[in-house]
Amino acid sequence: MRDSSPRTNGSGDPADGSGAAIEAQGVELTYADGTEAVKGIDLTVPEGEFFGFLGPNGAGKTTTIKTFATLLAPTGGSITVNGYDVRTEARRVRETIGYMAQETSVDQELTARENIRFAARAYGVPKSDRADRIEELLDLVDLADVADKEAGEFSGGMKKRLDAATALVHRPPLVFLDEPTTGLDPKARNRLWEYFERINERGTTLFLTTQYLEEADQLCDRISVILDGEIVETGSPMELKRRVGGEILDVEVDGGANERDRAAEIARTEDVFDADADVTVTDEGVSVTAERARAHGTDLLVALRDAGITVTGFNIRAPTLDDVFLAITGEELEETPADIGGDATAADPEVTVE
Amino acid sequence: MSDGTRTSRSSDEGRDPTRTDGGTATGGGAGADLSGGSFLGDFWVNFVRWNRKAVRNPFVVVGSLVQPIIFLVLFTQVFGQVATGAINRGGAAAGISYETFLLPAIAMQVSLAAAAGSGIGLVNDMEEGMFEKVLVTPMSRTAVFLGKTAAELLRIVVQMVLILGLGVVLGAEVATGFLGAVGIVCMGILFSLWYVAFTNIVAVLTRDQESTIIGANLLQFPLLFVSTAFLPLEVLPGWIQTVARFNPVTYGVDGARALMLGEDVMTVLDVTQFTGIWNTLVPAVVILLALDLLLGGIAVYMLNRASSSDVQ
Repeated sequence: MRDSSPRTNGSGDPADGSGAAIEAQGVELTYADGTEAVKGIDLTVPEGEFFGFLGPNGAGKTTTIKTFATLLAPTGGSITVNGYDVRTEARRVRETIGYMAQETSVDQELTARENIRFAARAYGVPKSDRADRIEELLDLVDLADVADKEAGEFSGGMKKRLDAATALVHRPPLVFLDEPTTGLDPKARNRLWEYFERINERGTTLFLTTQYLEEADQLCDRISVILDGEIVETGSPMELKRRVGGEILDVEVDGGANERDRAAEIARTEDVFDADADVTVTDEGVSVTAERARAHGTDLLVALRDAGITVTGFNIRAPTLDDVFLAITGEELEETPADIGGDATAADPEVTVE
Repeated sequence: MSDGTRTSRSSDEGRDPTRTDGGTATGGGAGADLSGGSFLGDFWVNFVRWNRKAVRNPFVVVGSLVQPIIFLVLFTQVFGQVATGAINRGGAAAGISYETFLLPAIAMQVSLAAAAGSGIGLVNDMEEGMFEKVLVTPMSRTAVFLGKTAAELLRIVVQMVLILGLGVVLGAEVATGFLGAVGIVCMGILFSLWYVAFTNIVAVLTRDQESTIIGANLLQFPLLFVSTAFLPLEVLPGWIQTVARFNPVTYGVDGARALMLGEDVMTVLDVTQFTGIWNTLVPAVVILLALDLLLGGIAVYMLNRASSSDVQ
């Protein structure tokens, strides 16, 4: 039934059953100064998916998301959002999306409730639904007890949650989240994650950009890695990790660089792993990426002991998105020190020995 | 709720200032609900938001009144004796107190100070991300800016009424009575619009809070001093007389002063085709209107550009 406006009913499905929340072909965006921020992106995001754009600063994530949200008109290609063309039906697109900008956007002089009410009216939520909707959102983002305080007094995490609530007030079937947790402490970040998962479970399509691998890994059904304005890889977090090939064995050894080089030499030359195994020297010891590293790990440890090298610890793990990014791009994602709720490299410990 | 007024998706959105999706019916009919959906609803939402922000921020309401009040009280006390002599030498406004002479100028100062808040509000919105947030909603952009400007004009009216009341308490007299006082307020609105436009242009160009505050506030004082605001043209040095002729403040102040005193006070232009105060009011209104339209046009163009999705 399409007898009511998407601007007011918010039940989704405004499109004519195409099933795709976003359909983008050959999207290009070149700024007036000649900077090619986006260089031909093809992308289809089905309804209900939690999709992620992963890439470093300046890769073109924000520019792309702004073209989808009608804030920037693409200089090339076509984009359909919820079945509407972003250029010719911009207002329709705006009615059916929520958008949370990278920088927290709340009116500091208004209370939490007034901020949500302003959004509700801006999106034309009918008066009869407004009060209930506002209370529901205040509950959802845990701001009910500070609902009548001015947003200027809130912490960064609270402002972010308020910002997210205002993006949802019209129950849009598709929500854009541009680096939603940048600059938040791990606790605040985990709370937002929970909240995003909750709205995704309600059937809302979410499009997230992030430079945090763990964030994409934890939340997204599917990820595109974007670099220099182009998508270089797309798949589920599992698929991407599988593309790295094999398992990873990290070994920590005692002693200085010499000992680590010796250990790497042994890992390469002793006939422990397959020929295509990749051995790198790390700060603590060596790291080996190989098929069946799990099965052959003990052989390496024995070989190292025989060579008089003291092993202080080891860890066999499945590859993380960090490894994926390294494998795809040859460079590591820079991460802030206050990184995410935990150490990404230790995310999946299977064997640990002290 | 059946929302039968929704028209086909293919209808031309650009042509109709109100929504084509039946948004006007969202309140349950009767058009009583001003909130959301229609052009008027969008206007109202923004009007309410900016009024609320003004009330929340004591600096905005009181701050822009403090300086004019200090001017009004101190100028009349400190310069009153000297200035009265100068006014009487000036001829046109002979036989009045300095309070009466100064009040219309202070009223224009109030409207100038309040108008400065417009661009500052815009640049704050840009820095807070609210500007972009509003752009991503389906609200009519015209309604968004009209709502904001209307709230600012309301503030100007309220503040002018307060300052006129204070002036009367201090001994100033409005020769043309209540209607004249209303006229002074109208003159204040007409006079403020070009400055509202100007501060918005500065905000869009700089997109920087500090530059906008400095640009909008610093200009006020030199503009006031090199006009007929504080002393009649005749007693000012030659170069200021020249500058005053090209200073919009002169026309706003002269227009308001003509209403205050009930006589033709304009000395920068020699208009005699009309009778009495109309020889001041007509040229003042024409010049201010032209300036409002010119700067308003530029501001609308700049705001359009700033809110367009075309890559710049």
